[in-house]
Amino acid sequence: MFSSQSFKDGVKHAIGVPALGLGSSMFAFGAFLHSAGFDLYQSFLSTFFTFALPGQFVMAETILAGGTLLNIFLAVLLTNSRLYPMTVNITPVIRNSNIPKWKEYLGAHFIAVTSWFNFFAVEKSINQEDKFDYFFGLGGFLWANSVLCTVAGYLFSNLVSHEILIGLVFINPMYFLVMTVSNLKEKKLICSIFLGAVLSILLNDLFPGWSVLIAGITSGTLGYFIFRKEINE
Amino acid sequence: MSNQFIYLSILAASVGTYFCRAFGVFSARNIKTDSEIFHWIRCVSIAIISAVIARIILFPVGILSETSTSIRIVCTLILLVVYFSFKKNVIFAVSSSAICFVLLNHFL
Repeated sequence: MFSSQSFKDGVKHAIGVPALGLGSSMFAFGAFLHSAGFDLYQSFLSTFFTFALPGQFVMAETILAGGTLLNIFLAVLLTNSRLYPMTVNITPVIRNSNIPKWKEYLGAHFIAVTSWFNFFAVEKSINQEDKFDYFFGLGGFLWANSVLCTVAGYLFSNLVSHEILIGLVFINPMYFLVMTVSNLKEKKLICSIFLGAVLSILLNDLFPGWSVLIAGITSGTLGYFIFRKEINE
Repeated sequence: MSNQFIYLSILAASVGTYFCRAFGVFSARNIKTDSEIFHWIRCVSIAIISAVIARIILFPVGILSETSTSIRIVCTLILLVVYFSFKKNVIFAVSSSAICFVLLNHFL
């Protein structure tokens, strides 16, 4: 059963800081595509179908560097592979027997760092049967807002200086960082966060393309096993 | 770069990205929220996000790479100090950091 109230609550949650944090960087991405010679439809389609900013930047830069389609596919797959564990993590939480499978696969398109963090920030206060619709409203709004902001960035890029655009791109990692440190509550998450950051820096020269994945899997596994006895809140 | 190639590139990027999400839904079909694997995958997810952030700050690609590492580190510290000093105010922390970032890039 679709709960329009939960959907609306999810949309309300997205309006404000989450939409601003992600939208500002999508605006900068749209402006970047304009300056790189892409057209408006291509900018629109990129966010409409991908909705994962680091991978979108990698796609655009691989095109500009003269990469092949296979290069682009593999580079984006590797960059956006973080979405796999995030989806495995959130799917059992929002699952409910009334939700058809196709809707689960559709909702997966809205999984991104911003929607993931914001959903988990309030997840415990939402009834189980309402969680999917809440996430659908939250993630769906962030996605629609991102598409609009990409198009706005493309159209109005001439009105914004290059320095401001760089500042807008910087907002996204800063917002991610704030959301991450807001999770410094459980020991296993604290350990995973610190180890993940340190290892990815240390491994960057050794495995430039793989450092994030290797660091994330190693750190998450260590954090989990070291503090396995900790009560899961 | 032809228009057709860009459209095909967007398609390739979209397929690569959606594969990660769809395979995640498929893999989660038997995972329960009280299972060990659920808690392990949460730790891995957050560690990967933390690794991504560290990489963006220290080894960015794209237009952020035009800025200096020291400015990015200083503005990250400003974010954390403001966040923890002002009752974890997200808007104030992020906007302070971003404004300082723009100003430092302009004047230094």
